[in-house]
Amino acid sequence: MEWFEPTGLAFFLLLTGDADLWRIILTSLICSVIALLLISPAAIALGFLIAKITFPGRRALVVLVQALLSFPTVVVGLVLYMLLSRQGPFGFLKLLFTPEAIIIGYMMIAFPVLVVFTLSAVQGADPRIYETARSLGASPLRSALTTLFEVRFGVMAAVFNGFGRVVSEVGCAIMVGGNIAGLTRNIPTAIALETSKGEFAQGIALGFVLIAVAIGINAALAWLQGRGGLE
Amino acid sequence: MSAPLFSLRQLDKRFGQRVLFTDVRLDLESGSGYVLTGPNGSGKTTLLRIAAGFEPADALVEFRGQPALIGAYPETWRREIVYVHQQPYLFHTSIEENLEYGLARRGLVPAERKVRAREALEWAGLGDRRDVPPHKLSGGEKQRVALARAKVLNPTLLLLDEPTANLDGDARKQVLELVTALCIENHTVVVASHDPEIIRLAILNRVHVADGRIETAD
Repeated sequence: MEWFEPTGLAFFLLLTGDADLWRIILTSLICSVIALLLISPAAIALGFLIAKITFPGRRALVVLVQALLSFPTVVVGLVLYMLLSRQGPFGFLKLLFTPEAIIIGYMMIAFPVLVVFTLSAVQGADPRIYETARSLGASPLRSALTTLFEVRFGVMAAVFNGFGRVVSEVGCAIMVGGNIAGLTRNIPTAIALETSKGEFAQGIALGFVLIAVAIGINAALAWLQGRGGLE
Repeated sequence: MSAPLFSLRQLDKRFGQRVLFTDVRLDLESGSGYVLTGPNGSGKTTLLRIAAGFEPADALVEFRGQPALIGAYPETWRREIVYVHQQPYLFHTSIEENLEYGLARRGLVPAERKVRAREALEWAGLGDRRDVPPHKLSGGEKQRVALARAKVLNPTLLLLDEPTANLDGDARKQVLELVTALCIENHTVVVASHDPEIIRLAILNRVHVADGRIETAD
């Protein structure tokens, strides 16, 4: 079979620790994790505030953030490209075609995912949580953190979904990262490149990694929910 | 006569077109116990929630002679006024951590928190249930944990919403004993209740809430 040989080679590359392959994998994972770490606090806080505070334009803001969920990542890449290109307003930062540019793009892509999932989790939270915390003497900030802790599986789902979205996206990463080998080439951009060259082995190997990451994320969430007594 | 510990004056509360209270007054004396009686929908729970600062309303509020707006209580008040829901919420941690939560907010060190939490659990008769996850407790046990969680903070004003509702048999009796103990311990306690045994407690002053009025029984 035609798929057998490249698949076997894919496993060989993975198991023998092929340096190029693992550099690509690490680039993907490191950029995704850093982006999530940087954007999660602000996005989770915004999701909480939108859920808890009534203000003029709140509904419109929710619709906007939800619309951003379905925003094509390649358009995010395009906007970021224009901002970071030499003629752009942030061209002086010289970030285009660097891992930092990919991280910024990932932050923009993950942001609405985190906000919407957190908003949903907090809106679904029992209102007695916040009141109980306040009644026991907690400050508004502490009560908010307690509420987030009580809906932690929803918040974790937000973070894991954000991670899943950025680790597998190709449009933004290829536009602002440039797919430079050893620097900005990551799993999805490498799959696209290798497939276009007819080199399926590395693409298949990286595809396996992406699938393993997706399964790992869901398994971790299920395990954590089980530990939380929600099974 | 000394100034009341807590007072709500010129209280107006409406839900849309429905007027619940118009220009009513509630004074609570320090160290006294009160039971709010009245038919369903008369506003007992709403009155407790207004006093707790969780329900918006128009009123002049004073605590220890200091005025404040409903919903904008000073943080110092939050340390002294404790409200317990009809169906209390227990955090998804351990029972002891639930009891230590308020103590931690008051800056007690972990060792002291643990000692006081265990004392409160013993008081509630739950010393042997320490390791049970809160969500696996019965309704009566959850209510007892919530009462212990409130008592451990030694609140100046304790607001209890229907503590024996939905309980029967031993569970109701045990909660009733704890509520009585709290009232005797010189806290200022306000209990909203339909329970005849709570209403009959001689230590509690009866406050009847009905038809938009708040009347203290002689």
